[in-house]
Amino acid sequence: MIPKFDYFRPKTTEELVDLLAKYGEDAKMFAGGTDLFVLMRDRLIRPKYVIDLKGIEELHEFSYDEKRGLRIGATVTLNELLESDVVKERFGVLWSAAGALADPTIRNRGTLVGNICNASPAADTAPALLVLDAEVEVAGKGGERTIPIRDFFIGVKRTSLKPEEFVKAVRIPNPPAGAKGGYYKWGRTRGEDLAVVGVAALVVNSGKRIVRVALSSVFKTPLRVPEVEKVFEEEGPLDEQIERAVSAVQEKIAPITDVRSSKEYRIHMAGVLTRRALKELFGGS
Amino acid sequence: MSRHKISLRVNGQRYELEVEANRTLLQTIREDLEMTGTKCACERGDCGLCTVMVDGVPTKSCLVLAVEADGKEITTIEGLMKGEELNPVQRAFIEHGAVQCGFCTPAFIVAATALLKRNPKPSEEEVKEAIGGILCRCTGYRQIIDAILDASKSGK
Amino acid sequence: MVKYSYVGKDVPRLDAIEKVTGTALYTGDLRFPGMLHTKLLKSPYAHAKIKKIDTSEAEKLPGVRAVLTGEEAPYRFGIYMSDKTILAIDKVRHVGEPVVAVAADTEEIAEQAVELIKVEYEELPAVFDVRKAMEEGSPLVHENLSEYKHAPFVYPKPGKNIANHFKLRKGDVERGFREADVVIENEFYQPQVQNVQMETHTSIGQWLQNGQINVWTSAQSPFAVRHLLGVGLGVPLHRINVVVPYIGGGFGGKAGLHWEPLVVLLSKKAGGRPVKLVMTREEQFYTTAVRQGFYGRIKTGVKRDGKITAMEILYLWDAGAYADYGVNITRAAGYSCTGPYEIPNIKCDSITVYTNHPYGTAYRGFGHPEFHFATERQMDLVAREIGMDPVEFRLKNAAVPGRITATGEKLREDAGRVDECIKAVAEAIGWGKKEPKQVGGKLRGRGIAALWKAPAMPSFTSSSAILKLNEDGSVTLSISSTEMGQGTPTALAQIVAEELQMPIEKIKVVTKRETDFGPYSWQTVASRGLFMEGNATLDAAKNLKEQVKATAAELLGVPKEKLVVAEEKVFVPGQPDKSLPLASLATAGIFPDGRGIGGPVLGYGMYTAEGLTNLDPETGQGLPALMWTFGAQGAEVEVDPETGDVRVLKMASAFDIGKTINPTIVKGQIYGGIVQGIGSAFMEEFIFDQKGKLLNSNLTDYKICRAQDIPDEFVFIPIENPQLNAPHGARGVGEHPRISIEPAIANAIYDAVGVDLFEIPMSREKVWLGLKRKGERK
Repeated sequence: MIPKFDYFRPKTTEELVDLLAKYGEDAKMFAGGTDLFVLMRDRLIRPKYVIDLKGIEELHEFSYDEKRGLRIGATVTLNELLESDVVKERFGVLWSAAGALADPTIRNRGTLVGNICNASPAADTAPALLVLDAEVEVAGKGGERTIPIRDFFIGVKRTSLKPEEFVKAVRIPNPPAGAKGGYYKWGRTRGEDLAVVGVAALVVNSGKRIVRVALSSVFKTPLRVPEVEKVFEEEGPLDEQIERAVSAVQEKIAPITDVRSSKEYRIHMAGVLTRRALKELFGGS
Repeated sequence: MSRHKISLRVNGQRYELEVEANRTLLQTIREDLEMTGTKCACERGDCGLCTVMVDGVPTKSCLVLAVEADGKEITTIEGLMKGEELNPVQRAFIEHGAVQCGFCTPAFIVAATALLKRNPKPSEEEVKEAIGGILCRCTGYRQIIDAILDASKSGK
Repeated sequence: MVKYSYVGKDVPRLDAIEKVTGTALYTGDLRFPGMLHTKLLKSPYAHAKIKKIDTSEAEKLPGVRAVLTGEEAPYRFGIYMSDKTILAIDKVRHVGEPVVAVAADTEEIAEQAVELIKVEYEELPAVFDVRKAMEEGSPLVHENLSEYKHAPFVYPKPGKNIANHFKLRKGDVERGFREADVVIENEFYQPQVQNVQMETHTSIGQWLQNGQINVWTSAQSPFAVRHLLGVGLGVPLHRINVVVPYIGGGFGGKAGLHWEPLVVLLSKKAGGRPVKLVMTREEQFYTTAVRQGFYGRIKTGVKRDGKITAMEILYLWDAGAYADYGVNITRAAGYSCTGPYEIPNIKCDSITVYTNHPYGTAYRGFGHPEFHFATERQMDLVAREIGMDPVEFRLKNAAVPGRITATGEKLREDAGRVDECIKAVAEAIGWGKKEPKQVGGKLRGRGIAALWKAPAMPSFTSSSAILKLNEDGSVTLSISSTEMGQGTPTALAQIVAEELQMPIEKIKVVTKRETDFGPYSWQTVASRGLFMEGNATLDAAKNLKEQVKATAAELLGVPKEKLVVAEEKVFVPGQPDKSLPLASLATAGIFPDGRGIGGPVLGYGMYTAEGLTNLDPETGQGLPALMWTFGAQGAEVEVDPETGDVRVLKMASAFDIGKTINPTIVKGQIYGGIVQGIGSAFMEEFIFDQKGKLLNSNLTDYKICRAQDIPDEFVFIPIENPQLNAPHGARGVGEHPRISIEPAIANAIYDAVGVDLFEIPMSREKVWLGLKRKGERK
């Protein structure tokens, strides 16, 4: 049973802005509801007002531009992303992360924007967005602004969004030419599970090596590890660099022990997955 | 709490209802429309026993508000027979012993029927993925997977 | 060889069409006029005095029809140990124990009312570890243990946290150890887990003003519910009618009595309106019953030639706050304590221990999956110590017909063959074959574990069946063994079809169980249904035939003995004029002149467990087993040494089921049992905080197997040595596939990577830790 609330389904962003200005902290927005309704049902939050974003046509925009890259509106579902050839071919790390999130029935409802607004440290798509240098388009009563994804997550289940703001879309610039990427997720089981650790990696192996790595479930927020990037800035034997990258990851992360895993196993698996990711992405070129 | 008039089609029949904002689609199907084939077993999207099709797409109805279903076409287990005939998935479930206690059976059949519409010849891995969000405690899934693969072979 | 027409065939389940179309009704699907909904106020403490309960605000809330506290329900219920009230009285004993119940017009109102109730607690020291709970000075979970009623074969120790101490003494264990060349001792541990039936506990109760009680409930055993409810409340049984529709999975967790008294008492307080309770998934985890935790210590003495000379066994069961079912699990595990082997000298103590955890109950296998993990791991560890092949070692000690079990029972000649099961499984997994151990950086291994289990029940339980001949010659079988997925009713229809030589389409088995109309059956538990209901059903079919023949003999003027019933007729073979359709005899036979003879044909059959005795309170010697179903499980695994991930490539299983009645249904039991076992092998466990609060009480955090978690391959080998007193020789196999999965996998993990595991679940992390420690030792 979900506790009582008032439901709104605005048709325009202007209406939405007004609702948020009026209700602010007492309101919660949703598109898929696959996180929000669970939190409400578990009585972890009790918003008085619930705003359904699916009535706003423009938030469902999903476009690709050769120059500006990808733009994914707030109500675009994960399965819509997964069906896109552009995402699959050019934004492989995001495609693989979206496919690793929950199960296909949940992905029919769940959205990319919802996943990052929920801001769980275990958010599967967040590390992918971090290595892709995504930007979050935000609007509210004060107008519009853009938040780089690296500044978006500020704590466990906390974002830099103000109560009267909402996310319009996520913008993802084209990755560097020749980039390959993947999300390597480790759960307790083979079937669907939240991440014990997830590693998103993006690699360019033509000419100068470029490597970006970000992780889920190992820090209070999804975490990109710039130290890994530095490792590959200089030339050197690949295997050695990969091991240094593994160490850089293991030094940077600060996981907790919870019902899914101990801290020690998370540190170990962050290393294993980083190594596997980099070996696979470099090896396959 | 706000109340909302909704109009939806369920298994081809039209329904006009007034629902409270916090009512889930699952509650509306089971309690307001009294179609009890769709089950509730966790209320938080883990078990998938409440799976129905919303505009043909398998959806966990415990995480959908009834008000969101306004204007939608819902298909539940009660709507899968073609007249007096079981659909191929239903027939295959019987033949392969994919049914035990039966509590999860409607969800698997709805999900499998939707899968075969979208992907008529799935691989075993694709079947497992498609039903990966639904739990069964009796069968060990083997006979369910076999039934779905067999239904895909028999075609329509 | 008997030629079968219906037995042994893949008859589709009788309930299948209802279930694939969503029309099958479960308790939660039922609604009645005026029906109220229940919500519970539950204890936040593991152990606390209840100082004050204030329900006044809740009672004022419009739509609230009854608020019930423990003081208003001073009844103790139980099948083996009546230690539980339906709401806590004076103190709470585990987090999640219900303290107050509210019945209201809607669930929403009931929930609001619960939020308005104020309870003052005084926290008490709690105990969570079975070994600590046994120590002097440990907090006592039950101060008044001496006052509780219990079955005569239960031995509680008042003043201690011991609800039952089962003792088994055979031979001279000290001498056995002296004779041994090697003595090995190990400890094993398992956490509490849950049955996780897809349908949570659901009950509707109504206590009418005329004294009549009606119950609709997701219970495995309608007659046990009626009996325990009647005894507990002091209501005559003919005033209670218990209805059980389809059940969404039981696995033991819905045996006996659960929440039926609560809804009945709420209904009484609400003036007789029907009251419904549907447990939430969270309540299913920490308010309703769970599988007990387990600690085992086994000392084994063995000769160099592989003959076991002695076993000293301690099993401690974490029953949690209440031990009603736990006491009998302790007993069953105690009398089967060795696993399927002949051991000359045994000392076993199997002890039910109260703690402040959620309370324990039956779960598929009834203690056997737990202790077989210990005994079958120990078999491998001992074999290794004496340098013997684990299969050869098991065969050498196997409890084959003629050998003596732990309780002194000489196994009958038709008892079933564990040795054949072990050999079949060994062959199926390529035991002894040299195959590449390392495949792509992963390591492969094989493991075997044997098992046995008999129905755990009092020595005199019984079942009955009624078979009605309808006016068109069809028959309706009425039984009270419930349908919770196991498929017994379909097998019973096959037995009727075989006995009457009648098409299966002409046979109906009633779908709903109702104590007012149905014949008595003790419980639907313990893998006893096919054997006991099967014998009762056969008896009923024979009785029906007798009635038909008696009338037909008069009508046809032939001796009764010459008549045969088949093809919906009663006739004298070879004499076409001496034949009558069964339909013509259903209500009465008719002579040519119009006179009637006989009457409505109603076959009655019954079966009472034969040859069982009480067990000696000091030595545990006696005859506890109606039938032993023997089996063996073989696992082939692939371990990723870097991550600790274990992939089950193959599970091979063999059970001596005597005779297969329905191959597809049997396979369903096998696969389903294996996958439940894999869940507890790798992922299932209750994780508590230091205050006894369950941290993983939903299906996000508590994992059970999904479709991707099953073995790559299942191989099932039925072994069919018929048991002569069983229907067509068939033994039960409902629980057995779930036993010995964990040790087979653990033994295979050792074979693959040389890591010995003594605890389940063998999660990826725990296997990794084992590998890490092994690496550090080097």
